[in-house]
Amino acid sequence: MIRDALRYEWARLTTIRSTWWLTGAALVVGIGLALLISALSAHEFGKNPPSGSDIEGLGPFVVTQLAATGQVPSLVGFLLAIVGIFAWGHEYRHGMIRASLTALRSREALWVAKYVVVGAWVVVAQLVTMLVSGVIGEVLLDGYASVLDGATFQTMAWQLLSTLLLTWLAMAFTSLTRSQAFALTAIFLWPLLVENVIRLVFVLVPSLNDAVAVTRLLPFSAQRRMTDVLSEASGTFGDPLSAVGGTVIFGGLTVVLMIAAYVAFTRRDA
Amino acid sequence: MALIKAEGLGKSYGGRPVVTDLSFEVHPGSVTGFLGPNGAGKSTTMRLMLGLDSGAGSTTFDGKPFTALEQPMTRVGSLLEAKPFHPTRTARNHLRMLAAANRVPATRVDEVLALVGLTEVARAKPKSFSLGMGQRLGLAASLLGDPDTLILDEPANGLDPQGIQWMRELLKHLASQGRSVLVSSHLLSEMALLADELVVIGRGRLIASGPVGDFVGSARQRPVLVRSPQGDVLAEALRGAGADVREENGTLVVSGLSASRIGDLAHERGATLHELTPQQATLEEAFLEATGGAEEFAALVPGSLPATEGRRP
Repeated sequence: MIRDALRYEWARLTTIRSTWWLTGAALVVGIGLALLISALSAHEFGKNPPSGSDIEGLGPFVVTQLAATGQVPSLVGFLLAIVGIFAWGHEYRHGMIRASLTALRSREALWVAKYVVVGAWVVVAQLVTMLVSGVIGEVLLDGYASVLDGATFQTMAWQLLSTLLLTWLAMAFTSLTRSQAFALTAIFLWPLLVENVIRLVFVLVPSLNDAVAVTRLLPFSAQRRMTDVLSEASGTFGDPLSAVGGTVIFGGLTVVLMIAAYVAFTRRDA
Repeated sequence: MALIKAEGLGKSYGGRPVVTDLSFEVHPGSVTGFLGPNGAGKSTTMRLMLGLDSGAGSTTFDGKPFTALEQPMTRVGSLLEAKPFHPTRTARNHLRMLAAANRVPATRVDEVLALVGLTEVARAKPKSFSLGMGQRLGLAASLLGDPDTLILDEPANGLDPQGIQWMRELLKHLASQGRSVLVSSHLLSEMALLADELVVIGRGRLIASGPVGDFVGSARQRPVLVRSPQGDVLAEALRGAGADVREENGTLVVSGLSASRIGDLAHERGATLHELTPQQATLEEAFLEATGGAEEFAALVPGSLPATEGRRP
């Protein structure tokens, strides 16, 4: 039964254009940014030979398109998460859910297959993007820094997990709301606007100043800590969080949403 | 061959019952028409049967619920709505995707596309399809697994007359192979030509089920047309026997007596008969009679429209 569901989901994913243009966009944007970062760095290092601090974290920066700075979200991760939004969004937007559930008798199998197949797809796409980015960085920065070293591979592992969790979270949110448009809006507004506004409120309101450290627990702030190589963590849930702490918070929210989405999906009318 | 058995189906939305204790059977080798006014609960019933909606009761296909069928499209084919596909996934890929879930070989995809006449647009995106083409693709999907049961909700929607005739012949052919076919439709004239049996519902409740002939025959007795050179004599005799007789253009329209009784009376009075025609109720008349008052959305008859204020006489 699960094998039938996996076959169905694979066929669904690979026979829709948006999967290919989103994945292609992630590859182009990711590799293009890596190329740009590496070329600019090489140009700068050519004029001013780098010091040790200049090349600290350079490998992780190149392969994550600066997400490893902890200051910006992973653009590649967000582009790939849209594949996950469409995985559920198309079911409800185009009435495909009834076709899916008359082709597969088990809702549970369909639910599992979606998360497995889309999860595997985005992980592979993210991995390819990072490896190609790393090779480009290695070539362009040859003589200045080693891009594909142990620290970079460690960051890549965290980035893969981060992208996977983000995609699953986006899928669960879309499945719960059954609105592709709402999910697409929320997945960008939440990390880019809402969490920054909350942090700003804590900074600007004097009575909240003392509690500003609590904003480190906001889910997407926590997600950024998974790949941040610049800030030293002060304990798992300290300020700032460690990568493990960030994973527990962001992953915890993802798991809660997935459980809620599962319960809703198996009980709701199609 | 699969016997469809629906027992005690029920569904409410916000406390308002939409389908109530609905039970019926669909037999192999027959086309069963599923009739009811708008909002009667036909589509909801079909979704309940396929486990898409949760509700009371159960439906079995040869004793098994839909959710217990391995590779369900090889047992039950369904068409539940117009254009049930992604607008940019090609027709062929849409069917390939469904086939993948049911271990149906890819060659069957091309077979059903040819069967429904969509071979030429197999690689086209369905967003450009007309409603009729969409229905054909939906029908192709329902036939993909060569199932012994078909559940089709308004499959003739959007089809042109040739398409409707083609679908009628196809469904009759499929039924003649021993399959069970349940079809809902608003086209009563079409259903009269297509269906062997009927399930008629109103406000979510069963009104009638059984052979089409029995359902039509159960309608109120229709008058008998009688022409005779001795019309006056015969009319008097018929009235004497309790019939209601009126004359229309030299023809007696007789209600309340059977054609055979009228023939006997004519013979007794020595009246020559030039015509003795029992009028048959149509499926539409029988349906309207059976579902009278069961419409969910009753509209005003033009003659009963209230006067519009300010309108000059």
